Amino acid sequence: MNGYNFAYLDEQTKRMIRRALLKAVAIPGYQVPFGGREMPMPYGWGTGGVQLTASILGADDILKVIDQGADDTTNAVSIRHFFQRVAGVETTTATTAADVIQTRHRIPETPLRAGQILVFQVPIPEPLRFIEPSEQETRLMHALEEYGVMHVKLYEDIARYGHIATTYAYPVKVDGRYVMDPSPIPKFDNPKLDGNPALMLFGAGREKRLYAIPPHTRVESLDFEDHPFEIQRWEHACALCGSDHSYLDEVITDDQGGRMFVCSDTDYCQSRRGEVA
Amino acid sequence: MYVAVKGGEQAIARAHRWLADRRRGDRERPELEVAQIGDQLRLAVDRVMSEASLYDPELAALAFKQASGDLTEAVFLLRAYRTTLPRLAVSEPLDTAGMRIERRISATYKDVPGGQILGPTYDYTHRLLDFLQLAGAEVPPAETRDDVTDAEPCPQILELLNDEGLVEQAIDDGSEPMDITRDPPDYPMDRAARLQMLARGDEGYLLALGYSTQRGYGRNHPFAGEIRLGQVEVEIHVDEWDETICVGEIALSECQMINQFGGSREAAPQFTRGYGLAFGHNERKTMAMALVDRALRAEELGEPISGPAQQAEFVLAHADSVDASGFVSHLKLPHYVDFQSELDLLRRLRREHAARQAELDSARDTASPQPEER
Amino acid sequence: MGQRHREQREMETRERVAGETGSAAWPGLSDPAHDSQRLFRQILGAMSEPGTLETLAVPVPPSDALGAALWGVVLTLCDLETRVWIAADLDSPALRQALTFHTGARITDDPESADFALLTHESFDPQTSFALGSDTYPDRGTTLMVAVERLANVGPSMLSGPGIETTRALDIGDTAGCRALMDRLAANRASFPQGLDMIFGCGARLAAVPRSTRVTRADAKEVN
Repeated sequence: MNGYNFAYLDEQTKRMIRRALLKAVAIPGYQVPFGGREMPMPYGWGTGGVQLTASILGADDILKVIDQGADDTTNAVSIRHFFQRVAGVETTTATTAADVIQTRHRIPETPLRAGQILVFQVPIPEPLRFIEPSEQETRLMHALEEYGVMHVKLYEDIARYGHIATTYAYPVKVDGRYVMDPSPIPKFDNPKLDGNPALMLFGAGREKRLYAIPPHTRVESLDFEDHPFEIQRWEHACALCGSDHSYLDEVITDDQGGRMFVCSDTDYCQSRRGEVA
Repeated sequence: MYVAVKGGEQAIARAHRWLADRRRGDRERPELEVAQIGDQLRLAVDRVMSEASLYDPELAALAFKQASGDLTEAVFLLRAYRTTLPRLAVSEPLDTAGMRIERRISATYKDVPGGQILGPTYDYTHRLLDFLQLAGAEVPPAETRDDVTDAEPCPQILELLNDEGLVEQAIDDGSEPMDITRDPPDYPMDRAARLQMLARGDEGYLLALGYSTQRGYGRNHPFAGEIRLGQVEVEIHVDEWDETICVGEIALSECQMINQFGGSREAAPQFTRGYGLAFGHNERKTMAMALVDRALRAEELGEPISGPAQQAEFVLAHADSVDASGFVSHLKLPHYVDFQSELDLLRRLRREHAARQAELDSARDTASPQPEER
Repeated sequence: MGQRHREQREMETRERVAGETGSAAWPGLSDPAHDSQRLFRQILGAMSEPGTLETLAVPVPPSDALGAALWGVVLTLCDLETRVWIAADLDSPALRQALTFHTGARITDDPESADFALLTHESFDPQTSFALGSDTYPDRGTTLMVAVERLANVGPSMLSGPGIETTRALDIGDTAGCRALMDRLAANRASFPQGLDMIFGCGARLAAVPRSTRVTRADAKEVN
């Protein structure tokens, strides 16, 4: 795109983000403040992820962008177009072929491999925010490793509903130290954070925070001995590929209450169908 | 057979074409020129420049046109453009005392040196729709006093109170202010950083917060000490020549609010100040900003923090319309994966609730004796 | 007069001076946008998988005390928003000029205010008060760039923790300084999240050990 630098951001902004990324990797799960910039898409639509991707992406990289696990959702299409325009990179929908994957709300079903980078879009990076609205307070709570309130909140759910009522953006503890918001992925995806061979980077543009989980890092979902962490399960298999182990979207098929369940990860579903066929 | 929805790319392209068509409107009528907007919708342009934090009337007018008159969208367009601009120089502090005045009023004195100058204001207009404008009536030219447009710079009214030490002085300690464009917010923030954030803040938001202080949520007894609008020179220092040169003029609005005095056993009582500054003709914004600025000084001045406008983190974190509109509008993005998680849990909780209820009912049926007949 | 403006001017002046005095013999990146992206990905890889060895394709600087890899890190990460501290054994007018010419970085004598520190295993002093960050802002610490004796994935130090599936051996050399560096890294665990992150260079080779890494001696019990 004429008039703009490679990958849109100017080099100085990229360097600022790169320095912050190194600190994020050095202190897994800690939210590093960074001088986030306005991007040509709205805050809340992935500007944090876009800035991170723009700072790491190279001309030879192959990029995949997903939203809700799907490559063809409108915002995924829009962000993919953006990078095609400003960086001229090759894009793919195949998880296995991608070097960099930018995602909103899902981790691909296909296991990631060493060398891949998964960039998460994060709306509210602070896992304690809905318990304590003040940034000054939550910063102190992280410093003092004072996470009791989070357990109290989860336990209140158990008292009221019999279950922990957090189904997505389920808090995790990284390498035994920082409690971290894994972004609004369903808790179904939380186990994939643990010991993943890929590097996972998280960017919150509006809140101007970025953080990281290096490869092979211990990531535990918070839970209780008598209420261990568990993930969602479906009574159905995917109506398209027959998968009985992937995250399923419920699709309403008619006005008679008819519905079906299909994989939310479109690439995974398609490649399974390709293998079967 | 169900087929997953495809064609996102095509849908986006078509939506954008439809939008452009709507924006253009009836082709029988001439298209709006950007210059007309800059000329005739001046206040909208000024607001866009102010909240986008970029002084460029032409591009602000373009943004307003491109946004079909949606101010928040126009602010966003111009702000996003601003990100791509290199920073060539940093200006000297603007000297608003040297302003070429178009309007300058004080509510605290009947008359002031230099005079009260109403300027082009909506104040005292009767808010009656002017149907003649529907018919395209000619507008007679303005009559201005020659001595006003070329007036000598007027002294700042608050400085007149200085002689007696009645009003607090804002002293420049020479420290480099935080730069809210480059540095992430780091609470608590000092006044220089707060004022930058307020200057970018959404006018409606600041207006509501400023208003709330007048109604008792953090009251600080304001007087409009001085409001001035006009042109101010922008200067930069050129090291090579060791000289300060003027690189242009910008229109500014400034409000100096005088507020109830503070003081202590050690310090003599003094009026305190709230300050508002904005690009262009943005008087309401500067007044609201000055009220909120003063409210945010509660802690510094040893006042109890009782109103929302006094809570710095709350006020500052939510002031930017680009932040706010982005995050509110992101709710339009697909969230069906998380919604599915919630559905799943809710169904489970309801099943369990029903089972418990049934258990209770049957336990009651077997355990409780038949009520005796009366 | 804004500080940044002044700095920019100073940098431009320095650029002219440097050009005239020929310190441009210290090479820059021929394609800044793409070269620095490529180098950064290698540095990011090194930092996120501690102890792994990367070989950086960077033009070799005229002084080999620093080495090509660390010079590449400097060119990739430093700019006028960063402060750099230089140990006495690396310090030279030529390096200073090259640093300001290519990056615009500010050179500081105060290790505590430095974002980056350039040193060698010989000049490493555990007593130097580099910034460790605070418990509330642990990221505000100095990143050390240290030229070491050698880099190999054999004993004597064993690394584990984030970025390492099981354990990884790292050898940076036998000198007292090299041992002191590994001891210092081992001590990071006790002060975590405060701590020092280090990038090691040896010629064109590079490895990194951040504060999250557990460092033990292969021939001894855990150090901390």
